[in-house]
Amino acid sequence: MFRRPALDQELDEELRSHLELAAVENQRRGMAADEAWRKALRDFGGVTQVRETVRVREGLAFAENLRRDLGYALRMLKMSPGFAAIAIGSLALGIGANTAIFSIAKQVLLDRLNVPRAGELRLFAWRSKRQSVVHSSWGDWDRTADGAGVTSTSFSYPVYQLMRKQNHELADLFAFKNLGRINVTVDGEAQVVQGDLVSGNFYDQMGVQPQLGRAIGPADDDKPGGSPVAVISDGYWTRQFNRSPLVIGKTILVNLVNVTIVGVNPRGFTGAKGTQNSPELFLPFSMQPLVFPYSTMDSLLTSDRVWWTQIMARAKPGLDEAKARAALDVALKSAVRATMTVKPNESLPDLLLTDGSRGMNESAREMARPLFVLISLVGLVVLLACANMANLLLARAAARQREMSVRMALGAGRARILRQVMTESLLLAVLGGLAGLVVGYFGRNAILAMLSSPAEPMTLPGGFDWGVFAFNAALSLVTGLLFGLGPAWQATRTQVSSALKDSAQTTTRRRRGYAGRAIVGFQVALSTLLVVMAGFFLRTVINLGRIDPGFDPRNIVLFEVRPPQSQYSGAKGTALFRQIEERLATVPGVMLVSPTSVPPLSHDYESDDFKPVGKKVAAGKEESALNTAVGDRYFATFRVPILAGRGFAPTDTETSPKVAVVNQALAKKYFPNENPIGKSFKTSDPKNDKLIYQIVGVCADTRYGSLREVPPPVYYLDYRQSPEIDWGMTFAVKTRTARAGITPSLRRAVQAVDPNLPLIDVRTQEEQIEVLLMNERVFADLTTGFGVLALALACIGIYGLMAYTVSRRTNEIGIRMALGARSDQVLRMVLGEAVWMTAIGLAVGLGGALALGRVVASQLYGLKAWDPATLTAAAALLIFVALGATWVPARRAAGVDPSRALRAE
Amino acid sequence: MGEDKRDVLQGTLDLMVLKTLETMGPQHGYGIARRIEQISEQALRLNQGTIYPALLRLRQRGWIRADWGTSENGRRARYYSLTKTGKAQIEKETESWERVAATMARFLTVQ
Repeated sequence: MFRRPALDQELDEELRSHLELAAVENQRRGMAADEAWRKALRDFGGVTQVRETVRVREGLAFAENLRRDLGYALRMLKMSPGFAAIAIGSLALGIGANTAIFSIAKQVLLDRLNVPRAGELRLFAWRSKRQSVVHSSWGDWDRTADGAGVTSTSFSYPVYQLMRKQNHELADLFAFKNLGRINVTVDGEAQVVQGDLVSGNFYDQMGVQPQLGRAIGPADDDKPGGSPVAVISDGYWTRQFNRSPLVIGKTILVNLVNVTIVGVNPRGFTGAKGTQNSPELFLPFSMQPLVFPYSTMDSLLTSDRVWWTQIMARAKPGLDEAKARAALDVALKSAVRATMTVKPNESLPDLLLTDGSRGMNESAREMARPLFVLISLVGLVVLLACANMANLLLARAAARQREMSVRMALGAGRARILRQVMTESLLLAVLGGLAGLVVGYFGRNAILAMLSSPAEPMTLPGGFDWGVFAFNAALSLVTGLLFGLGPAWQATRTQVSSALKDSAQTTTRRRRGYAGRAIVGFQVALSTLLVVMAGFFLRTVINLGRIDPGFDPRNIVLFEVRPPQSQYSGAKGTALFRQIEERLATVPGVMLVSPTSVPPLSHDYESDDFKPVGKKVAAGKEESALNTAVGDRYFATFRVPILAGRGFAPTDTETSPKVAVVNQALAKKYFPNENPIGKSFKTSDPKNDKLIYQIVGVCADTRYGSLREVPPPVYYLDYRQSPEIDWGMTFAVKTRTARAGITPSLRRAVQAVDPNLPLIDVRTQEEQIEVLLMNERVFADLTTGFGVLALALACIGIYGLMAYTVSRRTNEIGIRMALGARSDQVLRMVLGEAVWMTAIGLAVGLGGALALGRVVASQLYGLKAWDPATLTAAAALLIFVALGATWVPARRAAGVDPSRALRAE
Repeated sequence: MGEDKRDVLQGTLDLMVLKTLETMGPQHGYGIARRIEQISEQALRLNQGTIYPALLRLRQRGWIRADWGTSENGRRARYYSLTKTGKAQIEKETESWERVAATMARFLTVQ
């Protein structure tokens, strides 16, 4: 159609040559030149007409065929709505699910920060031996892979400033820090939002311009507290301010400090921490002392001790990074020496330049493996869907073989028929793809909702991932073409006459039998695998839910109170908590109240020095333990039994002798075979190096931060006697009634003490535990869904195949029965075939499940990766499904009337 | 099947073209048209031009192939030749033609 001019030219040339040949011959017969030409024209007929006919035929041929094929394909599909529904449905589910999960996974794992040339960004990190010069840090702190050292991305602010001055290799160093949750008050309404600190050159170096107002600049980062400005995220602008341009210049309270909003970030910009969600507020580092006071310090900006700032810089392309790292490493070490005293056994940090294009990518590290597992499972589901479609197409092709032979006998070319079949397959694939698009879109939102928690809502800013969708759509297209065309190719090769014969046995049929069985066997294998996986994750969730945390989580309401450090530092803070504690105890419906610095099972860890007095701890062994600062009714509130000695009492005050309670694990670890009661230990805090506590009681072990970990050694202090409380406290309130009813009274009680204190993150202890298990639960939900889907697809596949086989072999069955076979023998024959096929599929599937089990072993709990109970149950389920699917066709076979069967086609 | 009523006439012309190519070997459009006129002893007074839609049809079906060559008078002309499928098609068409003819003959002799 597009080659029109060339085709026209060719045709004209051909026609002209024809006329000339004719004219020449006429001349040879004796005519004059012009008469010869005229006769040639007459004999030819209308030249223009012929030209038109040919042109139209050429042009229309394509469109006409396409239209005809499509119409035919649509009619065929309408005639078998069941087939169409199943094929399109399974495609839609497979493609949709795959697209949804793949796009989420890709974004979490692969997507880069939404800034220009993200590949240039380098995130600074350091590594040192266990005894490091850094004692106090806020942020990442991990063991190195070999366990011999520690690594972190946090630096002290003075070190950052010194390194920045000495940097000549990379572009200007810039800094950021994710603060986490901060209190803001907007128009009188108290909220909790996520906030980031950024350096004055952050926006410039990142290459990001705000969509409204201005960005934070170097002038804002000059004097501490000198520039109380903030930039908000696009999401926050939409949610809170309705995208009103009046937001610029608006004043809000951040931690009770007046801050002016000066800009709005562009859409899709998520800061430097990660790609998933954006903090609502961006503030200059100079505001840290006011909006996020740390412990009792005046300012973190001048602290040499606390390492907390993240540093990034762009590496210009072509840079020798090894050299740059070495130079900056020298700068780091000299900065450390300039700002800290290095004890002889402490090691200096070595600088690392890591890829910063995906931000700090913390959740990627956690989620990487589970996501890969999910992706492979979903991939299997897609394969299943394609296998289903393949099977269905094969069955149809065989059934339509006669039709194709008839068409060929009537003159249709082979290419024509193949094109027809291809159109049908493409139509199916396109319809399936469109349906998959819808499923994928809603599926993605659904999964994101499942993965969100109130603390960290997951709102992936990127839109629908078309690349992933295209991949899946292509996969289904290929399957459709392959399994649509393959049998059609075969069918059109056979002799027309023999195919038209009624009981013909062609090679196509036999091959179709093997292909069909192979595909169904494959489906059974995949389904087995998916069902086993679902079983594993379901049981993991159940097992985790059954773990005894060591305390009674029922009817306990938790919430945090974060008093502004400017008003409540030191003793004032402790007094405030005491007042709140007493006030809360008077609320009707409240049985017990206790503040705690670490709410149980919230992935929160506090650890400090633990040096037993009078004991020599071996060099290199740990001298620290997890701890919690609690109120004196803590053990009663959580019903943790005191096994020896006593718990805390109102008589343990700021001025009475300092006492502690330890749990059994700690007693076993540090005082084996001794009575720990009466022993003392030393611990420290930022101000005071010599705090000594005497152990007065031993309590039962409880889980600390996570359900999976064995109860660790923990020591408890009364909060009135403990080192400074930094952030605030979590209050645990044991109630008699359900939570919803009581929250307002609790809020009133707290606000009676100080009206500016909101209750942060009100939840129940049980909900807290659920959040802990969320990942596992999501996995269990998803894999169960896949398992069910897989079973359904396998069921359909088996049914389809057996029904087809039985209908094809009606003749044979008729003969058998005429020769004396009984119904139940026929029944057993058909069932036997199904069982055989299922057994092979099962074997392969179980093998695969064992292999995959080893990969996911770390995610499981309470069962081994080759758990026999789950494997057996899955196998039984599949056999049941297979037999169930075969039952109807088998009954039909057994009910065949021999005389009718022999007479029929 | 979607083919129109002119199929019968087209079908016969197609078979003639195919047979011509089988006998004569590769030939251009004019040559084929002249040959058909001669064989049919002028009984078929087709406009020569109608051969070209037929040739296009046969090409679209893959029964004949077209290549450019030089004609007797030195001009560029398109030469058509049979493909393998085309050769097989002749046999099929011949068979079906003969069957039709035999059936018709029986009808016409029965009273």
